[in-house]
Amino acid sequence: MLEARNLRKTFGELRATDDVSLQFGTTDGEMVFIVGPNGAGKTTLVNLLTGLLTPDQGSVVVHQDDGDGSTVEREITGLAPEKRVDAGLVRSFQIVHVFEEMTVRENLRVAVLSERGETLNVLSFDDGHDGVERTVDDLLAQFRLEDVADEVADTLPHGDRKLLDVAMSFGLEPTYLLLDEPTAGVATREKEYVIETIAEASDADDVTTVTIEHDMDIVKSYADRLVVLHEGRVFREGDPSLLETDGELRRVLLGVDE
Amino acid sequence: MSRARLSAENLPTSVRVVLVVLGLGVLLAVPDLARVTPLSFATIHKGLLFGLAAVGLNLLLRHTELVSFGHVAFFGTGAYGAAVLATYYEVSSGLVLLAGAVLAATAVALVVGYLVAGHLDIYFALLTLAFNQVLFAFVVQSSFFNSTDGLSVRVGVDRPSLLGLDQLLVSAGLDPVQAYNYVLYYLTVAILVVVVLVTWKLVNSPFGRALDAIGQDRTRARFIGIPVERYVWIAFTISGIYGGIAGGLFALLQLHVRPEPVLFAFVSGEILFMAILGGVGTLVGPIVGGVILVYLLDLARFYVTYYHALTGIVLLAVVYFLPEGILGSLPALGAAIERRRRDPGLVRNDVETVVTSVRRSVRRAVTTVRILVFGVN
Repeated sequence: MLEARNLRKTFGELRATDDVSLQFGTTDGEMVFIVGPNGAGKTTLVNLLTGLLTPDQGSVVVHQDDGDGSTVEREITGLAPEKRVDAGLVRSFQIVHVFEEMTVRENLRVAVLSERGETLNVLSFDDGHDGVERTVDDLLAQFRLEDVADEVADTLPHGDRKLLDVAMSFGLEPTYLLLDEPTAGVATREKEYVIETIAEASDADDVTTVTIEHDMDIVKSYADRLVVLHEGRVFREGDPSLLETDGELRRVLLGVDE
Repeated sequence: MSRARLSAENLPTSVRVVLVVLGLGVLLAVPDLARVTPLSFATIHKGLLFGLAAVGLNLLLRHTELVSFGHVAFFGTGAYGAAVLATYYEVSSGLVLLAGAVLAATAVALVVGYLVAGHLDIYFALLTLAFNQVLFAFVVQSSFFNSTDGLSVRVGVDRPSLLGLDQLLVSAGLDPVQAYNYVLYYLTVAILVVVVLVTWKLVNSPFGRALDAIGQDRTRARFIGIPVERYVWIAFTISGIYGGIAGGLFALLQLHVRPEPVLFAFVSGEILFMAILGGVGTLVGPIVGGVILVYLLDLARFYVTYYHALTGIVLLAVVYFLPEGILGSLPALGAAIERRRRDPGLVRNDVETVVTSVRRSVRRAVTTVRILVFGVN
């Protein structure tokens, strides 16, 4: 379980994150969606959780299995992003971040090599690890990228780039995957495809996903739990059906007056 | 950069083997070629040494995509490392001098690398330049390093010994100076081959791929778990060690080390230019660039007063006409010639393109002159 405890972050006068306490992954493979109007502090929260920003107050904690059934708390508030990856915390960005001059296969390979702790290895060839290549093949199949495996990333259509970005994250074998608008900029007819692929992979590997999403149809069909942020605070937390039933929530979120 | 890599990889294995054998043959034959042609053996040797430093620089340039403007610092540290051992500790073994050079360069590269690894782009470039200049100023001011007069690499009047191989040649009847230079040259070639092989292994290893990742998207590299600063630090140090080896060999070649040729920041720019000239996207391009540039500068000294302007002109020509560098452009050039061999009609198109562009430039020039003279077109 990933836990935010009383996180606060201000930028000048702006309270981007204001006393946020949340738990993610209370059940295995839980899909949590974070929604909220622009400027609600969604991306800031993800940045605090993944180490791109350090909070002014509060802490980030992971509850890890210590092997004999009980769990231990590990505080990761001050940990560098690359160290958090070891703790199982992986993220994607709102803007696609892939290695543009590498092929799809090379992108996935470098992620899997990193997950296996092989990136300091200078004695082998990068494509000489059979186990890594098998994992890469599995990822290509899982994210339906086989056809473009040898294409250079910057020549791919946007939807495939998004999928590659997410596939790399899955290649790191995350326990918690934080996705900042995985469907942003993806054509409407491809949105479903992208999120469905993510949902399948998350289900298959029991990955807890925390997804920022603006498309309420997607949230309604995929969310196990909904978190609504408004002006840096947790405004609502609960079942996605709140989107239908909570009038005040609809007003904040959609500007709908009822 | 990966495009250049891909095109180089497209060459058939047989062609690549022929090229490697050819390159090695030329390298080994240089002393003999120099004897029968007006080519200067010493200049080519010097070019190879700067080329070796440029190979190191290219590790940063091509893979982590960091531009160092201070790379001669490590070349100079290596050269001075050897000179200090010879002058103050009377070390006469060439190999020990070389080891001293590598050690000194490693130490300085570790320190500078640690301080610059977290910086990017222009900050990285300026910081490396600044460290280079600090080092230069320090050496020039220091009486230990004998300021601008520099240090000798000889113990007394003797040249350093090269494993006794030079003595072997002397006893075979060769002139001692020539024997020393020959042995040193072949030592350089051997080291060069080893360094190129090591670099090739390095850049095709998981570590090499991690460096590529850092160069292409630092944020993403961090978020797939790569400790970016630490890896840049390692790459920087390796690249400094190459410079140190080259500088140590340079000291053995020149037998006297002065600050300007081995520490002045201007030379850092030249090393950077060698990599670009030969082809940043290639492994041995920087060596080719090193030999060509050093040779060009040495020749031009006799013909042109402002011979450094030549560097500028060549740089402009490369950027505009051969952006992939000399070696990097070869595959594309070969493919273009091959296409024209199959379809000679293309040559006519080329001529037409050239004629049209010349005609357009002339027309534009005429128009400009008219406007300047008459005020209207």
